[in-house]
Amino acid sequence: MIVQATNVSRVFPMPAGPVTAVHDLTLTIAQGEHTAIRGPSGCGKSTLLHMLGCVDAPTSGTLLFDGQDIAALSDRERSLLRLNHIGFVFQRFFLLPMLTAAENVELPQSEAGVERETRRRRSRELLDYVGLGPRADHRPSQLSGGEMQRVAIARALANRPRLLLADEPTGELDEATGQQIAALLDRVNADGTALVIVTHDHALAERATRVLTMKDGRIERETRR
Amino acid sequence: MGVFWAAVVVAAQGQQPPDILVSRQLAEAEGLGVGDVVDLATSAAGANARPFRIAGIYEPTPDPMQLGQVPREVRMHLPDLLSLTRGPDTPAGTEHVDSINIALTDPRDADAFARDLASRMPGVSARSTSNPSFDGNPFVVLERFHLAIAIVTIVAATVFLLALTIMLVDERRETVGVLRLIGLPVHRILGQIFFEGVLIAGVGALFGLVLALGSERLINEFFQWRYNTALIFVRITPEVAATCVAIAVPLGAVATVAASWALLRRGALRLARR
Repeated sequence: MIVQATNVSRVFPMPAGPVTAVHDLTLTIAQGEHTAIRGPSGCGKSTLLHMLGCVDAPTSGTLLFDGQDIAALSDRERSLLRLNHIGFVFQRFFLLPMLTAAENVELPQSEAGVERETRRRRSRELLDYVGLGPRADHRPSQLSGGEMQRVAIARALANRPRLLLADEPTGELDEATGQQIAALLDRVNADGTALVIVTHDHALAERATRVLTMKDGRIERETRR
Repeated sequence: MGVFWAAVVVAAQGQQPPDILVSRQLAEAEGLGVGDVVDLATSAAGANARPFRIAGIYEPTPDPMQLGQVPREVRMHLPDLLSLTRGPDTPAGTEHVDSINIALTDPRDADAFARDLASRMPGVSARSTSNPSFDGNPFVVLERFHLAIAIVTIVAATVFLLALTIMLVDERRETVGVLRLIGLPVHRILGQIFFEGVLIAGVGALFGLVLALGSERLINEFFQWRYNTALIFVRITPEVAATCVAIAVPLGAVATVAASWALLRRGALRLARR
């Protein structure tokens, strides 16, 4: 089991009163699992994803990543956990504009202490893997949306994470490009990385082996295939 | 010795008159050269004028107290001066002296000399010209004024620098957010930003010094030309340079880190999502 969430809640203090984004939720993510989280806007999908990715911590309940209680970890420990075990893919790609595609992929490896030649080789392999080998030296501004998302996926895979989290990965892409990204994510999952996707895209969600439908901070329905 | 008026006239060659030295400014103004013989008098009418030979032309020691007054001066031997200025009914040796400058072999003895002179000759005031630290000295007042301006400038520059670094750091908030999401700890990002801050502040300080050194020459040349003096108006000493660097570099680094810290306290997601 990679993630085990038990009675997890996340409450945001607001001027008009506290808002509960995730309410008393229990969930597990197993190794190699392909999970999609669906639901209307504001139902707590992204908040849940951020907690699964150790970006945010629950205000109550227990969230274990590889058996470690996230709430008990320091910021540095959570950072290292993200660096070494979790990959993120976002709707807006979030590539560093001053770096080339290869350098963007190298960055997490560099921070993880991978030596230069090894990380260069791995960056090239990953860019080949996502079909962007020939664009390795291009900067994000020279890439299309789909290409940038592929670089973002390659970057997310750089340190061989056990869990890849994707927040609306096709949200800014046209349908054809979105399907290419979906196919790429399927391949990542098939190669052994657990995948959790938050999406409004019905077609993308249907590719998952497990679909969680959220409403008002709770899991309303769980479907397995 | 009291101020005397000198009427300068190029005289004909004759018996060898006493030697005098003429300031560069006077020589330039009157077209005088070494070897010329001039008549000097103590009245504008030229009464009782006496001839003197110009033995040399000198650059007067710049005196900031006389800024704006072009030093058209003549230096002569004391007996010649007394002889020229003494009235016909004044016996030799009874001349009146207001002040004299005394050059000491070791300038560090000035204070001890002044104390000694004051004890030996009550009523005579002696003070060092090289260390005029008494409160009424205009240059001590001016220096305090400069210090006040410097402090106000540094405070204003610090506020400006902080605002500038906040803007610069804020422009990079998405980058910082991405780095946080990838898994870079706060201290790692702060370290990187601190390094950048020191580097930028160091380069900025060096640029400021180069600019100051260039300006120093331009300012000195302009005002020396403007006031026809050898006075040095601006001087960038190693101490001044070291003080500038010692203030600028830590200030720049601290401003960068302070601005970054304010940013890094926010969550990674808030940073990445503008």
